[in-house]
Amino acid sequence: MPDHKDITPPKLTKDRGSLHPINHMKDSIMSLLVSFGFEIIDGPEIETEEFNFDMLNIKKSHPARQMHDTFYVENKSNLLRTHTSPVQIRGMLEKKPPLALISGGKVYRKDDDATHLPMFHQVEGIYVDENISFAQLKDLIYKIIYSLFDDGVELRFRPSYFPFTEPSAEVDILSKEGKWLEILGCGLVNPVVLENCNIDSDKYSGLAFGLGIERIAMLKHGVTDIREFYKSNLDFLSQFK
Amino acid sequence: MKIAYRHLVQHIEENPSIDQMSDSLFQLGHEHEIDGGIFDMEFTPNRGDCLSINGLLRDLAVFYTVNLNQEVFTEKLNELQLDFKNLSKNNCPKISFLKLEIDQVPETYKKSLDNYFTDLGLNKNNFFTDVSNYLSYETGQPTHCYDACAMSGKLIFHEIEKNEEFETLLDKKITLTGKNSVFSLNDNVINLAGIVGGKSTSCSNKTRTVIVECAFFLPEAIIGKSVKYAIQSEASHKFERGVDPESHDKVLRRFIKLVSEHANIKDMSIISFEYEDTPIHQLPVNVHKINQIIGINITEDDYLNYLSKLNFGIDKDIIKVPSFRSDVKTQNDLAEEVARLIGYDNIPKSEISIPKNDKTNHKDLENKLRLFLLDHGFYEVINSPFVSLPAEDAIRVDNPLDSNREYIRTNITNSLVENLLFNERRQKDSIKLFEISDIYSSSKGINKKRKLSIIASGRVGENYKDFSKKINKKYLAILFQEILPNEVFDFKILSRELLDTKIKNEIVSLEVDIDKFSDDILSYREISSPPDNFNEYRPISDLPSSIKDISYSVMDFSKIKDLTDLLLNYQSDIVKNVFIFDYFKNEKTEEIKIGFRFVFQSKIATLTASEIDVIYNEIIIKSLDIKGITIPGM
Repeated sequence: MPDHKDITPPKLTKDRGSLHPINHMKDSIMSLLVSFGFEIIDGPEIETEEFNFDMLNIKKSHPARQMHDTFYVENKSNLLRTHTSPVQIRGMLEKKPPLALISGGKVYRKDDDATHLPMFHQVEGIYVDENISFAQLKDLIYKIIYSLFDDGVELRFRPSYFPFTEPSAEVDILSKEGKWLEILGCGLVNPVVLENCNIDSDKYSGLAFGLGIERIAMLKHGVTDIREFYKSNLDFLSQFK
Repeated sequence: MKIAYRHLVQHIEENPSIDQMSDSLFQLGHEHEIDGGIFDMEFTPNRGDCLSINGLLRDLAVFYTVNLNQEVFTEKLNELQLDFKNLSKNNCPKISFLKLEIDQVPETYKKSLDNYFTDLGLNKNNFFTDVSNYLSYETGQPTHCYDACAMSGKLIFHEIEKNEEFETLLDKKITLTGKNSVFSLNDNVINLAGIVGGKSTSCSNKTRTVIVECAFFLPEAIIGKSVKYAIQSEASHKFERGVDPESHDKVLRRFIKLVSEHANIKDMSIISFEYEDTPIHQLPVNVHKINQIIGINITEDDYLNYLSKLNFGIDKDIIKVPSFRSDVKTQNDLAEEVARLIGYDNIPKSEISIPKNDKTNHKDLENKLRLFLLDHGFYEVINSPFVSLPAEDAIRVDNPLDSNREYIRTNITNSLVENLLFNERRQKDSIKLFEISDIYSSSKGINKKRKLSIIASGRVGENYKDFSKKINKKYLAILFQEILPNEVFDFKILSRELLDTKIKNEIVSLEVDIDKFSDDILSYREISSPPDNFNEYRPISDLPSSIKDISYSVMDFSKIKDLTDLLLNYQSDIVKNVFIFDYFKNEKTEEIKIGFRFVFQSKIATLTASEIDVIYNEIIIKSLDIKGITIPGM
């Protein structure tokens, strides 16, 4: 029988903190994409109209460029990037194909309600090589979604429109409740964008995709109000460790 | 845009059900919801051509036999004498006017017209405006009706830049500012082109003679105006997305036909101004390219058959894009058309293989730093960069959401102070936060620095070894020295003087450029890595919490495990957290003193003392059932 006076003190629980769930989700997605062969690149959050819009085939008349959708700074000389796509432009201008690049980070749009915030996060990827097809894009998207959600989750592709991709698609997954939920946007890089980046669009084609991190984090964790992510409430943050 | 199922199906031979039609619309990329017999459509901005019954039917024709057999007036029309000048032909390269006089205004409408209002729950206005609205719904081409009696004088279309008050036909007064494309009559603005007409020339229930304007405005001339003046109109929605420049004659002849079904037309005349030919987009037939883009293998016959279903003209080796499809300009656009018709989900996947890259993650240092902080109880936060107060070199937002978010922050620490106070107000007594972010400033151009900021205050930790220790400069200095012995960091004590709080704990902070950290940190071996999956998220309560401590004296050490198992796993809706905050083994008296802290909080309402006592007493009774355990003083 053990000596009842010989006792080990209670386990000293180490007070671990947590990574922010949005950064954690972003890191997970980026790691996954790196394992597929993508290289991480970074770019500034304060951008020019040229990189944020012009180079991406977003016309001067496009509604997204209006003051009610985009934050402009310093007397309209610059803007807060509305997506991480300008980073891809910078990458394509710097590197020669074949290239597979991803960028992730904060983006800004002039929204503020229960489902939209003026600041949110995206991860976008681009792969430019010879003979890239929509069928290959589908394969990549299946791989991404199967890795992020359950293997075999039902998904569908819907035709959509983005000025920088053609054809363009939005991808939905079927929730456990039988509801289709929009997960990401993707498409083949519009040849106009490739040419803008001095890439011969007769020789090369590309695929691109973008995910909203908050949306995926909300679905994965069951968080229903996007604002919870940014209150810095320890009761909230401590659930993600 | 709302479109009634029965307005579509009456033109389709196969008579598809609403669900079958819904599936077809989804395959074509036309997102929608169904409410009763109404499709609430959400078209992508490039498909302005679909914003009508006829437009949608043109797309549905790839699946069904569609009969677009609306009757039009076919006889010759007299030329309208109109004193009109177009001073902004770039913004309006094509415009037509139709003048109609009827003997009397109809009191009731034929079923075909009446159904439009009843099925969609729309209010009627006046006869000519009602015909115009219906026609926009049917054809996609907005028209504007002027009461001809109010239209004598010189009519000009021009782009002006002067402040002028304008009263819309909806009785709303707006002041025009900046550049606007307008119609003026005798130098007075009577119509904000493509957005809304003016009150002074609008039709009424008494109007018997109308001038119908049918124009092609460039989207660039219209865009942004409806938001600017807070006027949502069907017309602006359509013009912004592009209308068919070749539709005017047919639309106005259809207008005459609809009017003639309701009244006797006494006089009618028409005039069209076309300043430039609409270019016909042409593309070479190249099925190889289409197959390459999509990753399929269809024959040229199948390819051309798909396109002809969508009204594309085929002339030997040339594809002629219909005038209403201004969005189709390249082979990729044609490929999308084919892919839509096949169905994106019917296109088989093709294995992709991206060459592996050997680039290391350039954020390794930053990630290591984050894991180090995590191991020592720090929580990562993300804050909005928008702040109210300008700092030196702060970047100003030209169009902020409100005056509280007019500048971009020039430091992270201020955000963390807010986060700290937020948590202190929620009875948190051990707070350790960090954020890594790009920080921007404006001095001779825009400058970017990547920074780490940390803030810490209160207890070092909740466990019984750290519980009574307070966070101070020394604590953090030692922590950092442990992993970076060769670097010195400038920890600061922040004053609480200006903060709205009665708490006295020291606030220690650090804000430093990420560049300051050397690669030494890469040798830090994290205790554990972040989890792949989390427990299911539990919505948090913002109601106040209460604390109760219980200290036990344990003589029979073998019972310690029973006690900790019982209390640390205690299940109750209102017990939010429980931990051991005190543990002391007295060797002389052979006694262990162990203290448990319970945090009570409800998700429904603020807890009363008696509600807490019920559970508190239950805990005490259950714990004292364990023999050899006492609560001193009880």
